[in-house]
Amino acid sequence: MAEAVFMPRLGQSVESCIITRWEKKKGEIVEEGDVLFCYETDKASFDEIAKISGILLEIFYEEGDEVPVLANVAVIGKAGESVDAFRSSDATTSSVEVASVDSVKVNPVETSHDVAGVETPSDVRIRISPRAKCIAQAKGISIQGLQGSGPNGRIIVRDVESAAVIVPKADPAAVNTVKPVPAVSVPAFASIPSNDDYVESPLSNMRKLIAKGMHASLQNSAQLTHHTSADARKLLELRAIYKVRAEKGEIPNITLNDLVCYATVRALEKMPAINAHFLGDRMKTFKKVHLGIAVDTDRGLMVPVIRNADDLKLKALATQMKAMAENCRKGNVDPELLRSENASFTISNLGAYGIELFTPVINLPQSGILGVNTITYRPADIGNGIIAFIPVIGLSLTYDHRALDGAPASAFLKEIRNQIENLSNDLV
Amino acid sequence: MPKSQFIDPTDARKKGEIHFGSIPVNQYSKTLKEEKKIYSKEDFLRIFRDMFLIREFETMLNLIKTAGEYQGIPYNHPGPAHLSMGQEAAAVGMAYTLSVDDYIFGSHRSHGEILAKGLSAIHQLGEKALMDIMEVHFNGETLQVVEKGFKGDTKELATDFLLYGTLAEIFARKTGFNKGLGGSMHAFFTPFGVYPNNAIVGGSGDISVGAALFKKVNSKPGIVVANIGDASMACGPVWEGISFATMDQFRTLWEEPYRGGLPIIFNFMNNQYGMGGQTRGETMGYDMLARVGAGVNPEMMHAERVDGYNPLAVIDAFRRKKKIIEEKKGPVLLDTLTYRFTGHSPSDASSYRSREEIDAWEKQDSLLAYPADLIRSGIVTKEEIEAIKLVVVESIVKALKKAIDENVSPRMDLLAYPETIGDMIFSDGSVDKMEDRTPDTLMTMEENPRVQQLKKKERYGLDKDGKPHSKLKTYQLKDAIFEAIIDRFYKDPTLVAYGEENRDWGGAFAVYRGLTEALPYHRLFNSPIAEGAIVGTAIGYGMAGGRVIAEIMYCDFLGRCGDEVFNQLPKWQAMSGNIIKMPVVIRVSVGSKYGAQHSQDWTSLVAHIPGLKIAFPATPYDAKGLMNTALQGTDPVIFFESQRIYDVAELFHEGGVPEGYYEIPFGEPDIKRKGDDITILSIGATLYRALEAADILKEKYGMSAEVIDARSLVPFNYDLVIESVKKTGRIVLTSDANSRGSFLKEMAHTISELAFDDLDAAPIVVGSRNWIVPAYELENFYFPQAEWIIDAIDQKIVPLKDHISGTDFGDESIKQRNKKGV
Repeated sequence: MAEAVFMPRLGQSVESCIITRWEKKKGEIVEEGDVLFCYETDKASFDEIAKISGILLEIFYEEGDEVPVLANVAVIGKAGESVDAFRSSDATTSSVEVASVDSVKVNPVETSHDVAGVETPSDVRIRISPRAKCIAQAKGISIQGLQGSGPNGRIIVRDVESAAVIVPKADPAAVNTVKPVPAVSVPAFASIPSNDDYVESPLSNMRKLIAKGMHASLQNSAQLTHHTSADARKLLELRAIYKVRAEKGEIPNITLNDLVCYATVRALEKMPAINAHFLGDRMKTFKKVHLGIAVDTDRGLMVPVIRNADDLKLKALATQMKAMAENCRKGNVDPELLRSENASFTISNLGAYGIELFTPVINLPQSGILGVNTITYRPADIGNGIIAFIPVIGLSLTYDHRALDGAPASAFLKEIRNQIENLSNDLV
Repeated sequence: MPKSQFIDPTDARKKGEIHFGSIPVNQYSKTLKEEKKIYSKEDFLRIFRDMFLIREFETMLNLIKTAGEYQGIPYNHPGPAHLSMGQEAAAVGMAYTLSVDDYIFGSHRSHGEILAKGLSAIHQLGEKALMDIMEVHFNGETLQVVEKGFKGDTKELATDFLLYGTLAEIFARKTGFNKGLGGSMHAFFTPFGVYPNNAIVGGSGDISVGAALFKKVNSKPGIVVANIGDASMACGPVWEGISFATMDQFRTLWEEPYRGGLPIIFNFMNNQYGMGGQTRGETMGYDMLARVGAGVNPEMMHAERVDGYNPLAVIDAFRRKKKIIEEKKGPVLLDTLTYRFTGHSPSDASSYRSREEIDAWEKQDSLLAYPADLIRSGIVTKEEIEAIKLVVVESIVKALKKAIDENVSPRMDLLAYPETIGDMIFSDGSVDKMEDRTPDTLMTMEENPRVQQLKKKERYGLDKDGKPHSKLKTYQLKDAIFEAIIDRFYKDPTLVAYGEENRDWGGAFAVYRGLTEALPYHRLFNSPIAEGAIVGTAIGYGMAGGRVIAEIMYCDFLGRCGDEVFNQLPKWQAMSGNIIKMPVVIRVSVGSKYGAQHSQDWTSLVAHIPGLKIAFPATPYDAKGLMNTALQGTDPVIFFESQRIYDVAELFHEGGVPEGYYEIPFGEPDIKRKGDDITILSIGATLYRALEAADILKEKYGMSAEVIDARSLVPFNYDLVIESVKKTGRIVLTSDANSRGSFLKEMAHTISELAFDDLDAAPIVVGSRNWIVPAYELENFYFPQAEWIIDAIDQKIVPLKDHISGTDFGDESIKQRNKKGV
């Protein structure tokens, strides 16, 4: 008996995935456990493993195709078995196609915020409550591929709310003024024109998401950046000690960035006003620090969250950050951890690139992000009237002026500096 | 059930016979020579003038309807015109002796009565009084039309005013007596003692009794005449009106000076046909209508058949009957025999009667016989008669020309002012008392035993530790209603209350306990078991200027007063052009425990009818505030109460139910519990089940429900509900009414319309089943339960974690039930 291979559903927020590579060809024999195809979600890539052995009888989507989750991607069965039952309309057996009286017709062209919906079949009928639909539109969330948890599979408010990953929360007034992300129509790989002068290539899912998130952030908030620098002597002193101890295998490697993150968490604990989400008509101030860490990967920027970072001692923080970054680079991070709404504050470190000053972009609805710069040398009064060059580390705090004013933002930045300059000797 | 009257079994079981006296039939036999002692020549001529004016007025209408013109003036009148040609002597004879203070009520065939009574009033009123009346009516709007180009004296002007006001009303003109909202079948003019004519056969049969009650209770001069047709003798409201009017208690129990029969004459204008049905010989069995009086009371209602073809015979009869009424020996039944030459309406081909019959009656036409007699007796000359005719025709031509002129007699401009009629549906008055005098009471309010008892009660349901007080010590919902009502009895001298078991018993559910001690009979009494008359008389009482609380003991009995509640009570304010106010409160008690005919919530039935205000409080605080509002207003209110919660304590209003006076405006729902996740809107006693459901939602499913009590159905301000739905996105509506056609569906629809984009699911109605109400032990399967609300939420709005539904709200079962009609 032939069996369908479905595009898996990974996390509440994932509505479609792009098949990046087929490892098996149509007609090929597959063993249970073989990698069938690779695919990527908004922020990570995965391998789909064959759950049964047999012949790959049919493939319904090609590499580069965007496939709604739970859609039928392929069929595995015995030689000669018919795959007609799995084909076309029957192939996509996901609930989105169930037509009913209270379902609504959704034309992807109309939902211009719906970047992900570009290549899904048009005219899919989706049951969704009016309220859920309005919220989805206001938040720029695509309703296609959303799994409804309401009666008869209707998408209701809670489904939309839990799908609000990455996509920043914006106050409704601002949304109206936002121009939709242009160039929705993306041609398939085969038809990409190219000549000697240039190459056009489609955006990856992740690029699209980053583009949308960044653009929306700048469109929908009042962000500006304050710069300062902290005396890095203590920082460098501790780093030197830890390096030696790590080499002896006494402790894990603890980087300068780990120390800055640790100091920032302390500052957030002390001054929680910026450890908050700005939600249009109210502030959501967190009692815990959920620290977003910007991680550069081959596919693009990822910002996983370290939950309850304030509960972590330096060693644990360093270990977790390292593991998280590795997962991101490997592409197997839990999508839930990538939701900007799950972090309360973010740190982005470009120091390794020698950047002396930059203006990081806030991950809405968070109200602040700290940019960490490279270490430079500056003259300073080191006491007794002696002016000497000391190492300083540059700190760039971008904050949402809607959420807080310049003075408290500056005070917070000063507190980070203070924490960095006064790091304790017995942290490890 | 007064204890003062002993029913002696020995006496009751004694052998005997009932003896009926004789009923006079056409006994009038005076000669003109004899009558000359009473009437002057002018009187004789005036009687003729009045009869001819009616005849010519209706001839004009008949020609307009059938030929499209009168005296060369073309006009098309698409509306009704039920003519009474042939009945003029009866109308004029009836009105002749009546004073301006005497009220007449009529039927769909009452043009003649309006004109006759109007002419009689004009004859009696002084010039200044006439001018005052005409100038006050709609600020002189009608008068201005009549005055234009008028030459003559005030009485002639008033006659023109009467003709024009009536005709403009028939033609639905804004300048008509009732702004054109009454029309041919309902036109009236109260300053001349002409009260509403009623297009429902027998409709005036009980309303007129209420006007008579008003006159008696408030010591007003004058009598009431109900001009109804012979066929209406078969109608419930007429029988119930007669039963109400002839209650023994008026003579046995009511105190002086209120003791004695009601001042009303049931004047059956007996034209011998009910549409096409011959009442004598075909559709009734009384042989002669007057016979019916014999069975009603020992006085046989002073019944008499009068020759309605002789105006002098009718005047003679009314003169004699009025005297009986003045001696407080009423009421009276008159069978005024007459005949109409025209059909029931202009479209009636009279296929049910022979030409010979019509010819025979036409030969005895009073318009021919009466002037001929006068001429023969040398009282008047032929020329004098002809001169009168010329003047009348001239007046009617003048009235017609003005009434059909769009410029001087426009219709309501509903294009420019689309809400004109909407604004007339309610009078929205706020009046402490309908008249200013000291109310009749038997003791001060402070002396009243129940008032004293209530002083000791806990006015908030819980003690300071949050525990409920004992029931006996707690101020309950029924106390709250009582408090509002007794307060008004001491404010408004016109206020009366009646219904079944209102006195002595204190109402079947003890709401009125303590009122019997406070009030004399004429302000609180027991009615016959006649819901039609209970509501019908209340309408007449309110129309005449009094405030009244009528009680329907069980909601299920509303059907017994269907016409009164649906056609009469709600309509007369607007149909009068807002001349009439209707300060009538109908208390309706919704039952439970007593099965299919004593447990139904029929709020939806009355809410469907425009013109009624509808309240249904569920807490003592709301009950008192809403009853105060009902009794302060000038609009008809159907005030629902639930027997299930007469004993509930106040649990919501901080500080309990205030002792002093306060009002809660109609139409404002109230949040009984705040919440964020779902809205539950309830009507009436179901509030407590909604709160129970809210508890379950909170404890089991972590959902916080906002519970809103509608408090009133009409009017209803949706703002609060929409605001709540905008917050929660979800709403369940619940009440004890069976769900099909329930008012909840109306609300659900309106909410969908107003908050569509805010809804996470369609509004869900949880009503009772579309069954008969079963026995008390099975009621939980019929009325909405807290669990049903949870089930409905789980199945239709938001699936609840691990919830197992006991009741099926699924689409399939909804379809199946509808398919089956249950």
